[in-house]
Amino acid sequence: MLKNGFKAALIIVLALMLHKAAFAAEVVNLPTEELAQESVLPVFDKPVSVKNRNVVTQGRFEIDGFYGYAMTEPIANVSKLGLGLYYNSSENHAWGLIVAKNFAGLSSYADQLNQQFQLDFNRAPAPEMTIMGDYNLKAFYGKMSLTKSIVFNTQLYGSLSAGAVKYVHKTYPAVAFGIGQKFYFTKQWAFRFDLRLYAHQAPIPFLNGKLKPNQPVPDYGDFQERVTYTTNLDVGLSYLF
Amino acid sequence: MKKLLLFLIAASIVTPVIGDAQQRKTLRKQPARSSVMSGNSREATLRNQLSNALRMAQGGQYESAANALFSLSRRSELSAERPQIKYILGTMLVELKLYQTAAFQFVDVIRMKHPKYSKMAIEKLSVVADTLGDDTILNYAVSRVDLNDFPANLRDMINYRLGEIRLRNRDFAKAAELFSKVSSTSSYYFQALYSKGLAELEANQTSLAIGTFRKMLDARHKAPVTDTNKVAAQMGLARALYQKQDWDLAVEAYSQVPRDTLMWHDAVFEQSWAMLRGARFRSALSNFQTLHSAYYEDFYMPESLLLRSIVYLYICKYDEMEKVLSLFEKTYGPVRAKIGDFLKSTNEAGAFYNELEKAHVMKTTDKSANLRLPYIVLRSVLDQGDVKRSMNYLEKLNQEKRRVESNSSFRASALGQYSLKIIANRSKNTKFAIGDMAKAHLLNMRVELRDLYEQAGFIRYEMITGRKESIKKKIAGKDISGDQIDENVNRKFYIENGYEYYPFQGEYWLDEVGNYHYLGKQSCE
Repeated sequence: MLKNGFKAALIIVLALMLHKAAFAAEVVNLPTEELAQESVLPVFDKPVSVKNRNVVTQGRFEIDGFYGYAMTEPIANVSKLGLGLYYNSSENHAWGLIVAKNFAGLSSYADQLNQQFQLDFNRAPAPEMTIMGDYNLKAFYGKMSLTKSIVFNTQLYGSLSAGAVKYVHKTYPAVAFGIGQKFYFTKQWAFRFDLRLYAHQAPIPFLNGKLKPNQPVPDYGDFQERVTYTTNLDVGLSYLF
Repeated sequence: MKKLLLFLIAASIVTPVIGDAQQRKTLRKQPARSSVMSGNSREATLRNQLSNALRMAQGGQYESAANALFSLSRRSELSAERPQIKYILGTMLVELKLYQTAAFQFVDVIRMKHPKYSKMAIEKLSVVADTLGDDTILNYAVSRVDLNDFPANLRDMINYRLGEIRLRNRDFAKAAELFSKVSSTSSYYFQALYSKGLAELEANQTSLAIGTFRKMLDARHKAPVTDTNKVAAQMGLARALYQKQDWDLAVEAYSQVPRDTLMWHDAVFEQSWAMLRGARFRSALSNFQTLHSAYYEDFYMPESLLLRSIVYLYICKYDEMEKVLSLFEKTYGPVRAKIGDFLKSTNEAGAFYNELEKAHVMKTTDKSANLRLPYIVLRSVLDQGDVKRSMNYLEKLNQEKRRVESNSSFRASALGQYSLKIIANRSKNTKFAIGDMAKAHLLNMRVELRDLYEQAGFIRYEMITGRKESIKKKIAGKDISGDQIDENVNRKFYIENGYEYYPFQGEYWLDEVGNYHYLGKQSCE
């Protein structure tokens, strides 16, 4: 008891003697010898990349709102708006449903064709809606610093989807795969970017002798079908709860 | 060594033959009685078997030779040759890598006090015990060693082991002398150099110790950065500088310990002490951010929390101090209680060992276990030198057991059964010994925690006093107000030099551990 009291008293006296010298300068200059000199990692029994994560997703739901841009769509309107709902079964896997509604009208390219060659692609069937079940494999959780005081957590994931694309006259089964990245600007909110390649059967909008105004209006069934690949970029906001 | 063994076996074959011939001559003079005749013929058969066994040994048929020699070593008719038989049996077992079983043969030979074979057995036993890392046998062998009788190539090992014994007995001067006798060409050289430095530190000869560790570092300068001997020398140097109270050099020496080595964790903690003593509080707090990160939740470091609270006391951060003291009590209060309960509940070494074994499984695999003691405590005990060494010995015994069991014919033999019995006994005794070691460490921990709790009480008292003064100043309008984080740091310097710089937001990254910098301001007037 006395020994410990003496020890503590000694340390405290030492503190009083030293504290002024220790904080003589108010401006912090980190000693350069204390800055990182090695790029190796410390050794632990069971090393893990991150502990006490800021963004914990396991067992939580996530709702997304996004704008979709069909990068390789020549005729139909390239824009769509969508909603997604995901359940994160672990820090590595998430399962969800995405529904997107296409904008009506045509692409700017189709408008040009109409102006130059009087081809009315409004006669061709266009996609109306997409509904997909989506699986996300969350591969990398990370973080990036933008300024002295701003740090983002990031999540890079792969996605695999299966569902359907509904055209005005018919619904086609579809599959898609891609990669995505989330930037968490709070522990709940994130910007979400998804790049997906869709593959599905779809009508070919080009039909000889049926697209000009003076030509007979075709039935949707007149359009031939083929497997179509469309690259989509979705940009949205995600909320984790 | 093999040539020597072959020579010995050849000599052994000749010896019984001569003995046999002499006996035959003697027998001719005796009356021809049937009982004597039958006894002699049995003896002759045994000697023939012995010659065959030795021939097999010479021919490299170690397993067959060992089996035959083992059976012959039990025959009363060959009691005169027993030291020789047992010695050669031991060497056969060494060839079969059954070191523990071999050690028992050599111990038997030593006890027989045979003028020739006992000395040779001591030599062999020393080598076998060194391979096994078994302190009991090693001490037994080394204590009987006469260095003058020992082959020059084994003297380094004996000097090193004798030095270890002296060091354990706190005869530091003699230990250092023995360690310095280990030649630089020996595989024990660096261990001896390190132990010499330790002995010098224990004897408070810090300058000598610094010289020894520097010599070791110089000798390993071409070795890779994470070379165990090199890192141990660096750590030893840092500790010697700390003991010399050269805080700045000690801090510098600790920072040279590579991050990707196990010793780095100790280096960070000890460096924090050096920083505190050198009045580098900000640097010490930077280290604590690492040491108290989630990566260290399995580490037993009660002292580091108190040290952190003392640093906060130095800079009048009473709220932070309160948090750290509460964390200390929250973490180590239950630890202290559980250690106390466990020590009260059992006195059996086996129970202590079982806890350690479960923790060892948890440490080395992903399996979990129901522990009665906190994992951080058991992990710390597992890291203690004596426990580690005994656990290694136990692993060697397990390897030997697997070696016996993997050979079905040998396992079924009398020698195989005998080996398994020896190994089982040694394992059981070693487990008890480890249990006793664990108990001793737990008792020390209990005392240490009691002391630290008392110190925490004193520190809390100082905190309350400081807080009171701070409030008084606040009322008088003399307190330091404003930002508590220094914003004057220009990030540009660090970015331009290839560093990243961003605020800590609560999550810990493996590549950030060790790179935290405390930027809080002091709150004293």
